[in-house]
Amino acid sequence: MFLSAWSLALSLLSLVALILTVIATRTAVKVLRWWDPASDSNRQIRLENETWLSSTLVQYGMGFQILSLLLFVLAADHFSQVISGAMCATGALTANAYGMPTLLLKILGAFFYGFWIVLHGFDIRSEQYPLLKAKYIALVCLLPLLAVDVVSQTLYLANLKPDIITSCCAVVFGEGGGDSGNLLGAVPQGTLSMLFYGIALVLVFCGSFLLRCLHPLLLWLNGLVWLLFVGVSLVAITTIFSSYIYAMPYHHCPFCILKPEYGYIGLLIYGTLLPAAFFGISGALAELIPTRIGLDAVVHRFQKTAMLLSTLLLVLFVLVVSYHFVVYRLMGGEGG
Amino acid sequence: MISFARQLNLIDYSLSSLWRRRGKSLGVMVVFAGVIFLLASFQMTTRALTDAAADLLAYAPEITIQKMTAGRQESIPLEYQEKLSSIWGIRAITPRVWGYYFNEISGANYTILGLDPHSMPLGDQLGQAIDTGALPEAHEVVLGQGVNAEVAGGDKSIFSLFRPDLSLKAFALAGTFKAETNLLTYDTLFMNLDDARDLFAMAEDMATDLCVTVANPSEVSTIAKKIAALLPDTRVVTRQQVQKTYQAVFGWRSGFASICLLTALASFIIFAWDKASGLTPEERKEISVLKIIGWQTSDVLVLRFWEGVIVSLVSFVVGYTLAYIHVSFFEASLFRPILLGWSVLHPALRLRPSVELGETLLILCLTVVPYLAATVIPAWRAAIIPADSALN
Repeated sequence: MFLSAWSLALSLLSLVALILTVIATRTAVKVLRWWDPASDSNRQIRLENETWLSSTLVQYGMGFQILSLLLFVLAADHFSQVISGAMCATGALTANAYGMPTLLLKILGAFFYGFWIVLHGFDIRSEQYPLLKAKYIALVCLLPLLAVDVVSQTLYLANLKPDIITSCCAVVFGEGGGDSGNLLGAVPQGTLSMLFYGIALVLVFCGSFLLRCLHPLLLWLNGLVWLLFVGVSLVAITTIFSSYIYAMPYHHCPFCILKPEYGYIGLLIYGTLLPAAFFGISGALAELIPTRIGLDAVVHRFQKTAMLLSTLLLVLFVLVVSYHFVVYRLMGGEGG
Repeated sequence: MISFARQLNLIDYSLSSLWRRRGKSLGVMVVFAGVIFLLASFQMTTRALTDAAADLLAYAPEITIQKMTAGRQESIPLEYQEKLSSIWGIRAITPRVWGYYFNEISGANYTILGLDPHSMPLGDQLGQAIDTGALPEAHEVVLGQGVNAEVAGGDKSIFSLFRPDLSLKAFALAGTFKAETNLLTYDTLFMNLDDARDLFAMAEDMATDLCVTVANPSEVSTIAKKIAALLPDTRVVTRQQVQKTYQAVFGWRSGFASICLLTALASFIIFAWDKASGLTPEERKEISVLKIIGWQTSDVLVLRFWEGVIVSLVSFVVGYTLAYIHVSFFEASLFRPILLGWSVLHPALRLRPSVELGETLLILCLTVVPYLAATVIPAWRAAIIPADSALN
């Protein structure tokens, strides 16, 4: 189904991001082959100029990737109105085998772009550009991910047939046992909410401790717990919190909360969860920077900022996601 | 790392730099706003039409049964209703008589609709769609806005239509439909079941199709399947299918139009690339002076980024606002023929464009993203101008 403004916009966006990254990768390959900080030849000066271009292109690429992630979910919601049987983005995304993988690839892509920009930020802090090679190897590795993203999205759009009957979210995320279309099985709500709030509490404690003292082991542990928390949060949003937002016990859908009917609360929920996770994980990954290259002060300052941001965003996320849940539990209704 | 105040200063500088080159900036902005206006108008018209169709179809019957013979639709015998009495969950079955009436004077096709409003569960709500007057009794008719203006001349209370044998049948005007329902009723004459049969010279025990109202909306597809099994010579259409078809058609047409508009976008991108690449000697001098007073390549790149963002946002706001005015006040007069079909009686719809995050983001991605991407490499070329080039 390419003949729709949404498909066109998605394809255009991915293509632009891909082209920019290809140009940046060309510089990366040149730098990996010819870079010689001792030389003052014309080629070296040209390469130094080109490194500016590549980092700018990657920054643009990340912006476009985040836009394309958002547009993809909104487009899926729009497609659901045309695909028979689908009632919301879930139905449209599961209409063929490429929908969900594309979504995951897009999230992953945005994270990797972000990590690269952090790495670049460290590198330009030192006059010797100590991370230059590592940075460009990472950039060359980023390209296949982006290419897979574009291919997967194109396959998704190409295989989207408006006449295929798909399941809507009431079936996919519903509680009915033995349903083959059920993405998330029966998860005990009590255990899950305890797990969710438990991990959130652990992360807040970890974060506030790390703000005072950057212990390497704790940083790694914190990063791993963040990975776990993203998974638990997505399950909890789908099975517990979303139905309180919709005020419908049988509507479990992680995408409908992005709709204007619910005041775009989903944007705030995912817009705090994903950046919080990004900072939590990148704080840990920053430990990979070797101490001998003399960037310790810069890395530590970044880690502290990252911990502060991830803890603040986490608190905000938990408050926003729990709002309808708590109001319902306390007031026994939507709270007027 | 990069402080907020520094960015503010850079934005301030880029604004003044755009103002200094106001002729060039204005040229880009006018063309850009034009492209955005075209794309946004299309998207808004599609969206408003889809919304209008969805609103109107909300009161349509859940299931429609049409008799098929040799792949063509023909009249359905009323006795089919009794065959369906065994299906639980059907609330009511309403026979409908409808068809087209060609008016030789104006060359327009009218839609004649005959049904008994009292036999439908929501039949009394039909009155809500009627602007003035009441539901039609025997020999009375309710007209759509377009037919009213043409046939009844606006103030006639009695007029006649031809039967197939060219004998005249007289009708009294009972009322007119509201303008909000124009998409469906603009060319419609709504009358009694018997009057419609009489006008079309149709047998007493026949109808054009049967409308089925279902008590529980979640049973619609099951009941539709059962009907199809009981009446194999019929086509069973559900309301949801009709709605999705409307959307698919509008979506397809707007996608096709967007592809045509991509050429406009592409030429604009080339124009923008060209404008951004061609540096005047003054601009080269400006950058090298900036370099001499201590600016880095990255600062110039950020400056150019902000210039691009300001140009795109101003053009976007202007183009989007113009599109909104075009759709809501001028009823999308430039594009409506493409999206609405080609009948002689064009519904004078009042379109209500809705500004929604998703749609806005869609237009933004289609226009601003290619522009920013096209200007990044020229911006870099400008940013690497060495400090000593001003001295040459």
